[in-house]
Amino acid sequence: MAETAPDVEGATRDSSPARSWPGTLGLLAAPVLWLAVFFLIPLLVVAGYSVGILSLFPTDAGANLDDWSRFLRGDSVYMALFWKSIRMSLTVSLIVVILAYPLGYFLALVAGKRKYVLLLLIIVPFLTSYLLRVLAWRVILGSEGVINSFLYSAGLREPGDPIAWLIYSQFTVILVLVYVWVPFVALPIFVTLENLDSSMLEAGNDLGANRWRVFWRVTFPLSLPGVAAAFVFVFIPTIGEFVTPSLVGGTKGTMFGNAIQSLFTAGLDWQIGSVLALFLVAVVGILMLISGRFLRLRNLETG
Amino acid sequence: MNERWGTSRQLGRRDFMRYAGVMGLGASGLLAACQQAEQTPPAGSGSATPTHPPIEEEAGDLRIYEWLGYGDGSYGDDVLWREYKKAGYPKPKFIKTFEDDAGFTKVAAGERYDIVHPCAYRFEDWVNLQDAGGSPVMQPWDTSLVSNFARLNPALQGFGNFDGEQYFLVADWGFAAPMYRSDKIQPEDTWGVLFDERYRGRISWWDSLNMLITAAYLNGVPDPWAMSDAELEAQRDFLISKVPLVKTFWVDDPTPDLVNGDVDVAYAWQNHWWAAVGYGVPADGVPAVYMDPREGRTSWYCGFALFADTENYHHAHEYVDSWLSVPSAEWLVNNYAYGHTNTELDLSTVNQDLVQAFSLDDPSVLQEPKSHPERAIERRDVYNELWLEVKAAA
Amino acid sequence: MDAAASPRGRRGLFAFYLLLVLFLYAPIAVLMIFSFNDSRLVTFPLVGFTTRWYGLLLENQELIEALKVSAIVAAISSFLAVGLGILASYAMVRRRFRGKAVTSSLLLSPLVIPYVVFGIALLILFRAVDDFLIPRFGVFFGLGIHVVVIGHVVVSLPYTILTIAPRLERLSSKVEEAARDLGANPASTFIRVTLPLLVPAIVSAYLIAFTLSFDEYAIASFVAGDVTTYPLFLYGQVRIRIGLPQMIAVSVIVLLLSMVLVAGTEIWRRRAESRLAV
Repeated sequence: MAETAPDVEGATRDSSPARSWPGTLGLLAAPVLWLAVFFLIPLLVVAGYSVGILSLFPTDAGANLDDWSRFLRGDSVYMALFWKSIRMSLTVSLIVVILAYPLGYFLALVAGKRKYVLLLLIIVPFLTSYLLRVLAWRVILGSEGVINSFLYSAGLREPGDPIAWLIYSQFTVILVLVYVWVPFVALPIFVTLENLDSSMLEAGNDLGANRWRVFWRVTFPLSLPGVAAAFVFVFIPTIGEFVTPSLVGGTKGTMFGNAIQSLFTAGLDWQIGSVLALFLVAVVGILMLISGRFLRLRNLETG
Repeated sequence: MNERWGTSRQLGRRDFMRYAGVMGLGASGLLAACQQAEQTPPAGSGSATPTHPPIEEEAGDLRIYEWLGYGDGSYGDDVLWREYKKAGYPKPKFIKTFEDDAGFTKVAAGERYDIVHPCAYRFEDWVNLQDAGGSPVMQPWDTSLVSNFARLNPALQGFGNFDGEQYFLVADWGFAAPMYRSDKIQPEDTWGVLFDERYRGRISWWDSLNMLITAAYLNGVPDPWAMSDAELEAQRDFLISKVPLVKTFWVDDPTPDLVNGDVDVAYAWQNHWWAAVGYGVPADGVPAVYMDPREGRTSWYCGFALFADTENYHHAHEYVDSWLSVPSAEWLVNNYAYGHTNTELDLSTVNQDLVQAFSLDDPSVLQEPKSHPERAIERRDVYNELWLEVKAAA
Repeated sequence: MDAAASPRGRRGLFAFYLLLVLFLYAPIAVLMIFSFNDSRLVTFPLVGFTTRWYGLLLENQELIEALKVSAIVAAISSFLAVGLGILASYAMVRRRFRGKAVTSSLLLSPLVIPYVVFGIALLILFRAVDDFLIPRFGVFFGLGIHVVVIGHVVVSLPYTILTIAPRLERLSSKVEEAARDLGANPASTFIRVTLPLLVPAIVSAYLIAFTLSFDEYAIASFVAGDVTTYPLFLYGQVRIRIGLPQMIAVSVIVLLLSMVLVAGTEIWRRRAESRLAV
């Protein structure tokens, strides 16, 4: 149904070459070239390390697929860590998008004239260093931190008997990641909802439909591109996330990203490290190829 | 079993010989040091060695890849090279992003400097590092250009000596041992405190493969720095069985958790303990003890290394010489609670709590059997992977 | 807009917003408190009030230099990322061509690469290029701010595209077609019609890219060369801990400056509005 709403579609009819300038190539040249040189070539370097063509020490074995096969066979710790990271990322992303949607909705459609200021207000904390904000959460959630101290003084808990799972646990990881992502993720949702044609919503109301129906039948479907973008925004980078989990996750905070990090530094095994990094890129690349339609980054079918 | 880790580097027998040489040299170095005590070669003599132009011809623009606060002046630590400054040499440029692992990675990926300051577990790797053309990246120091060399702890310098060449001028050292809240627990002096059921949920481990080595010392493994596959797997299984007792793995600093009351005992370096007790001011800290376990503390040490393609050969030696001096030792010990390699430090100028806690008056405290100096681990990638398995099983 | 929510709905949503703001600022409040705490350790109990950390940081040349560097890097890389993002979004949304799925995959793939790996690979690449150039031509790229900017553009680009493209899609192309029918050339159409409508998305994209770059550590740690960015400086301080309170004081100042920015925006908006109303 959304496809047929005329004014708000934005899909272009097939533009004849004479009218469309600059051409597709002209538009894409700069971004694609930038990525080709500064991203694909480094990826090739990583690929070279992953199969032993390039290596850190000359005494290493030459070209081989050992680490690829070892990893893909699944009999190493790395594959288990990969799935652990996927699960964590899915959980966090779902929570984040669910929380960010009403935020974006509020800012775009309810806040009125003040919306940009209110939006800026939630973005501003991000200029404070991420590291310090995570450290501050440790102060809030710790055994003698803000929350526990409050509970002691309010007599709700005995001193010396803190709520231990607040810090260094699965809960902490999810809480802090949600904290970090929600404002960011609200942005694409906000941006998509902001240009919603109010006349449509009013028309829906006039026709007797209650606001919920209008929301589910009109607003939400139209905002889906933003929601999909928002989900991608958070899901993909979080798969490789390891800083927050290791700072606040206690013993539960070991992720795929930690493995990659340590292989390139402490363990000095660039070959398997490169395998893991490339695997991440490949998996996500394939995922995005398949689900490209949901991101609406190509023309809609009405074209 | 070998097939599983077939990608580990094969360094071979050469390195075993190196270790044997180091031990022997350490002993003979002690004797030589006694004899050389009065001889101090003139510093910066200006005479050109065959391959290095004299100091007057050097630009003097030293680029030093260093730990933060080790000379760059963030904490007034530029006093560490004050003689160099007084002699009027140009101020070095400090690139302060050095960390052992990432730092090595950067240089391996192609970065070059004049001086770098790595720690002993990586000494081997630095010596073996070659550039794309196959020539070594580092070169040894000429100890005759370092006037303070005779004053330095010979055992430590022995660790920096490879194939008879002084690749590393070991400068600072420290211990690793459990530290605990003495007002909360009173454990026995053993590494086992980190694996004790009585302290479930109150323990903090270092996020490092060194935990495997700690477990090995506890479990009586003969050489934890070069374990066999069977020994390694046994330590891994031991750690996995104990990890439910652990509250967290610390990455930069165990002290806040100890002070906060989130944990009661942690694997720590001595500067962490010093911070926990408020830098010697009890009102600023908490009651904490830095244990000397019966199995022995482990020790770490770090030293200066010289790049082969440096254009400031003599300036580099001058700089390092000033860092290794007695006033620098005094500053380092009193401000960072790290040990300094200069044995002529007058201990009456040092905070007596520190002297006592780390036996600063006993140079042999850094050797077996009183403590276990760290060594390069040949199969580091294997240790690392097993440590990841421990963490993943948590 | 009444159609968007009932009065109760509006209050509920506003309450939700306020709760979120509280949640977001809780750690900030903690940081503010500790910036005045007379102790090197960031733990309770509080020791005493002091402003010395602020005094110290104002003398800290390294810190100020690092902040400047990071601001420059962020400003430039965000500008480039937004520019490239506009171009890419325009092509993806307004044009038809084969291989769109592949192109969009490519454009978004930097989202997932671990920054440590990317930083190392960039370092290797640039060193290899210099090793090639120096003996032959005597010139070199070197490492430093320019390489950090390059790396940050790469990783920011997916975010700018993801922010701008959905917005562009929502804009009706009919307005653009109408402008062209009326004789405006494509460039003029873009500048005077499309761009103004895109401003919220562009500003959002710029903000995202800026905060990402300003706080980015891993890539910078490998390719910044001799230069220190603020996250690099901060990371080192946190590890050695002696300088931690100063860092907290910095973040409070940065925050206060941004609040001034927010307040300024609101005042400017009200002024503009009252002028328009006349």
